[in-house]
Amino acid sequence: MDSVIETIRACREKGTPVVGCFPLYPPLELLHAMGLRPVVLWELKGIVKSTPLSDRHLQPFACSVARHLVEIVLSDYGAILDGLLMYNACDTLRNLPEIIERGLGAQGRELPIIKLHIPAIPAERTEASEYLARRMDALVAECEAAFGVHFSSERFLESQRRYGEMRALLRRLEALVGEGRLLYRAFSRINRFGYLVGVEEQVKRLRTAVDDCAAVSINASATIPIVVSGILPPPPAMIDLIERCGLRVVANDVATQRRSYGYQPPEDGDPGGYYADFYRRHHPCTTLLPTADRRVDTILSLVEESGARGLVFIGEKFCEYESLEFPHIEGLLRERGVSSLRLEMAIDDYENCAAFATRIEAFAELLKGGR
Amino acid sequence: MDGRAAGGGRRKTESGRRLSRMIADGYLDLHRRANEGAFVVWIAIVVPAEIFAGFENVAYAVPESHAALSAGKGVGTVQCQKAEERGYSADLCSYARIDIGTAFDGGKDSPTFGLPRPHLLVSNNNNCSLLVKWFDVYRREWGVPHFIVDVPFCYGPQSDRDTDYIAAQYRDLIREIERLSGQRFDIERVREAVRHSCDAMREWKRFLRAAAHRPSGITVFDSFVQMAPILTARGTPALAEHFRLLADETEGAIADGRYPVPDERYRLLWDNIAPWHQLSGMSSRLAALGVNLIAASYTYCIGSLEGSVQLFPYDGADPLRYLARIQNFSVCPQGLALRFEAMRAAIGTMGVDGVVFASNRSCKVYSIMQMDLLDRVTRECGVPAVMIDVDHADARAYSEEGAFTRIEALLESIDMKRAG
Repeated sequence: MDSVIETIRACREKGTPVVGCFPLYPPLELLHAMGLRPVVLWELKGIVKSTPLSDRHLQPFACSVARHLVEIVLSDYGAILDGLLMYNACDTLRNLPEIIERGLGAQGRELPIIKLHIPAIPAERTEASEYLARRMDALVAECEAAFGVHFSSERFLESQRRYGEMRALLRRLEALVGEGRLLYRAFSRINRFGYLVGVEEQVKRLRTAVDDCAAVSINASATIPIVVSGILPPPPAMIDLIERCGLRVVANDVATQRRSYGYQPPEDGDPGGYYADFYRRHHPCTTLLPTADRRVDTILSLVEESGARGLVFIGEKFCEYESLEFPHIEGLLRERGVSSLRLEMAIDDYENCAAFATRIEAFAELLKGGR
Repeated sequence: MDGRAAGGGRRKTESGRRLSRMIADGYLDLHRRANEGAFVVWIAIVVPAEIFAGFENVAYAVPESHAALSAGKGVGTVQCQKAEERGYSADLCSYARIDIGTAFDGGKDSPTFGLPRPHLLVSNNNNCSLLVKWFDVYRREWGVPHFIVDVPFCYGPQSDRDTDYIAAQYRDLIREIERLSGQRFDIERVREAVRHSCDAMREWKRFLRAAAHRPSGITVFDSFVQMAPILTARGTPALAEHFRLLADETEGAIADGRYPVPDERYRLLWDNIAPWHQLSGMSSRLAALGVNLIAASYTYCIGSLEGSVQLFPYDGADPLRYLARIQNFSVCPQGLALRFEAMRAAIGTMGVDGVVFASNRSCKVYSIMQMDLLDRVTRECGVPAVMIDVDHADARAYSEEGAFTRIEALLESIDMKRAG
């Protein structure tokens, strides 16, 4: 992880402004096209071990994604950032820009913080697409003013191709996980770095990974296929636990993974048009409110197509978006004979996965019994 | 209004009796109209109910208000438990859990026999997006259409662009109700309803001004209780009339020298939703300490916009644009800077000695940023403040002793400040 931070720092020293983006689905292509380096501030577990700076601003019932985001920005690691971009992904995140601004101010620091509102209604509704188009135009103008960069349609199209390739490679790699040629743990690690390293570097890594595992064959017959769902993927220790119990993750409905790379819009040189389609047809997510009606069918299809026998829901502690949907999905899975397990955890719990061992073991026994 | 007589005993005032009748009649009328074929809409509290006055027979229900009433009547926890038994996390908003528990148990244990089944759900995401997810639960369970109103979060004054965007959504909503209900819409009736609401807000502000008197003419618990019809009777002349009589009665009590906490030694401000399950117990215990919680951000923001505590009046122009403009008239859609400005104004105009920040894990949208607000209040307003843990509707998540230990520490800070 330290080397990734150094890479970002080096990029910045070469004159590329680094923009820390709030999760979940910021307009990365647009920032990249303007010569900026977008870094999505999911978490830097391994470097940010605790959240003392964030704890001065946020109560413990803020989700760990929000607490870690604030910690990264307010800590010394925040010095790698030239600006921040947030959008209205959730109620907690929308409260953070002014909190961060104040926290930075107390340290004598300042960062431009751009706030973007993505319409949370279906694109078909009056003014929704027009509103988004105007906001995208405003975003371009704000980035130009804040970072001294410029927009061009040609570069925007080029960025779409790069991100499109990255997403296609991630879908391919996930398919290889499903075939048993790559462990989900390795897949998660590669995917995670993509939020920090540049898209060009990530494409290189993904090509290599796809090539490397195409020839690999893993005997998956003795394991039970499952799907994982949540905002963040299960941490490595939990994946190990899952695999030790004879389960194998074959597909995912995770916000940092399939929900992020599941859909790539057709090329469009106009940011308003491109992102109208991006958010309209996005892989469903609990935080993208207009996608709610598609989400249930998408998960059921995912389970069916992957041949999974169970679903493990890794609930981000205090994420109400996720937990309000789960009872309904759980019921539908049960009707189809698919068992599910709900675990709740936060980034702070990553070292304590053993606490979940009994429940995962029991779940595995349940699935084995149903063979 | 529940008040405290000059002799110290509690008594129910005329406005308190009138409020009880108004609330009871309102729910009875809602059920009656639903039974007689009205088109029933469930709304989030900030959805402008005045729009429904434009139709001949649209009745609306407010699940959040029903949940608050349930908590106030002591059945909040039992309804929360029902939702939890269905798999809904205990970390979810207790209003949502009460509502889901009530709805999926056919209104059992509800003080109003629940709410009539809706034909349409209308939520918005500025007060909180959780409401959208909460209403989606019913959409999926009952197959009821769900209309979302998208309101950009307010870090500063609303832009014309945003006002237009919201007003356009109201026009979509009107078309949707016309399509679903077969009823015709009349904008003039909405204009009339908006006038009534604005008249009501003017009287509401006059009522709240009684808190500036020393001793205060009201407690925050009066304003918590009296705000209920703002949610359930908006746009009606009855609401304006009720608040006119309430403000008259309150001013009359002050003129007669009758105060809810006659030996008021500490004037505090409350930040967060009302602790509905503690209204009686908390008010009595505070009064015994000479404490009057005189105001709350939860109630002084009603009728005001973006960092102000003054009335935002209706100018008689396009009512849909006005209704779009006042989407920011509650606290949660406002950012830290605006919330602080409103709080500073309230502290200054009402002579507040200290602030109680009720940190409420059940309402993250209200609570996250309170630590910075607390810091700003103490540093920039020079007013001591304390944070206590409260859940607005789930009594299980409240420790009276823990809360009062901190409140008593706040009183000591105020004493020390006074002693110089």
